[in-house]
Amino acid sequence: MKHQLSLRIGTVAFRIGSAWSAPIEALRQLYRDYPEPEDGLCDFTVRLEPENFLRRWIRPSVAIQGDYILPDAAPLSLAHGLLAAEMGMNLQMALGQKRFLLLHASTVEKDGRALIMTGESGAGKSTLAALLGERGWRLMGDEFALLDLDSGRLWPFPRAISLKNGAIRVMEEEVERDRFGPRLTGTPKGEIRHMRPNRRAVEAMDKSAVPALILFPRFGEAQGLRAVGQAEVFMRLTQASTNYVSLGRPAFDALTKLVGDHPAIAVDYPDTEGALAQVETLWGELAA
Amino acid sequence: MSGIEEKDGGGISAMPSRRTVLALGAAAASTVVTIRPALAQTAGSVLNCEIPVPGPHAGGQYISAEGSLVSPGTPGAAPPLSRPLTGEEVKALLNSGATPPGVSPQSAQAYANYIRRLQAGMSGFTCYASLQMPR
Amino acid sequence: MSQPRYVADPDGEVRTVQLDGLALLFHRPSGMTHIVAPPAPQILEALRLGPADIGELLGRLRAWYDFEVDEDMEALEARVAELEAAGLVARL
Repeated sequence: MKHQLSLRIGTVAFRIGSAWSAPIEALRQLYRDYPEPEDGLCDFTVRLEPENFLRRWIRPSVAIQGDYILPDAAPLSLAHGLLAAEMGMNLQMALGQKRFLLLHASTVEKDGRALIMTGESGAGKSTLAALLGERGWRLMGDEFALLDLDSGRLWPFPRAISLKNGAIRVMEEEVERDRFGPRLTGTPKGEIRHMRPNRRAVEAMDKSAVPALILFPRFGEAQGLRAVGQAEVFMRLTQASTNYVSLGRPAFDALTKLVGDHPAIAVDYPDTEGALAQVETLWGELAA
Repeated sequence: MSGIEEKDGGGISAMPSRRTVLALGAAAASTVVTIRPALAQTAGSVLNCEIPVPGPHAGGQYISAEGSLVSPGTPGAAPPLSRPLTGEEVKALLNSGATPPGVSPQSAQAYANYIRRLQAGMSGFTCYASLQMPR
Repeated sequence: MSQPRYVADPDGEVRTVQLDGLALLFHRPSGMTHIVAPPAPQILEALRLGPADIGELLGRLRAWYDFEVDEDMEALEARVAELEAAGLVARL
């Protein structure tokens, strides 16, 4: 394709092609300092293509194509091309990842041990992970946790963090300007801004960690804590996984081990600072 | 710390002490849950989707109040929508009956039923499934 | 008309892990995972002794367990139907 970028994020290498230069330039900026794929070999390809012939120039409309696609996907405007590229990468992982059990969760690491936070979209796991990453923890990823089927270790996937609406303001106050992508308004999910993980996270993108604690955070609820039963944790993690069923027996073994060996707590919280304090306390009690 | 009792190929890990009480449960109870493939929770990150109402297979047919395809001009049937509904519009429609702009409440009901009846393989099904709407 | 007889897959075909009172089953032939609550695992254990109809199955379970109330066949039939729908039990 006319414009291209190759990118390595942890153990996964992407090639992103585009009919327009703007999304590629935005990606190049956002992922400045990320390594090239080894030997130029890519695991997945994402292509940003015009929705139809005319839409390459007139009210440009971006269709997300690649090794793996989803039917019914609506095209995005060119102004949201960066978002299309990020969604395209998510899609390749969600549908094509076979080496790791994929969990829709954010992960942060301290002293070689990892905290997994999972739950519905909007529950706050990305924001919490982003903040923890600035407060002594190493961010491993905000979207996907990669569980190694053999070793049971978690591998990093430190993509740019997708901040939405209020969370954008919160992080703009914590983090230097040049780590942010453009502010995208009017997207299907409201306002979005991408934030590059910090240097520590990028430099440690090849360092795995042992899981230690599972949290189900839920933002916007009155303060509350509840230990979650193992069968429920297992069930919820399979719902948070796009490839559990297709991976078969190794996934069953890896997930039952993860759930059986580590505690899980549901944390309801009305404010972010309170949640962060709660996370530190739980970590101290259960994982450190 | 492990909570697992494992037994490869076995049922219960240890025979319970004799004369444990076993409840068979009510006829309507449910004791088996099967794990299904899931895209729903990740859908927001991977799918910005839309549902054409009706899908391209409809060939100009209208939609009855129950959501099935009928010939144009059938009394009470809703015309095809000129543009697909976004995932957000569908969610609002199915959750709270919020009618899309320019649509009568009666037609909205027909469209909602059409969407609820979507099956795998039909245009819009993936989108509908990703919205986590109970049937 | 004779009663249908049911079978469960042999030991080696199902991997079971107990988690807080429930059993997770990985069914090798189908690749499917099921979360099951009692009496499902006990029914599967009983069926592994060999094919049985509902009456025989009830007899096997009575040999191992007490029932809280006088359990009728209808409840057991419902449990077996669930296991059949999940592919863990088959009709002969």
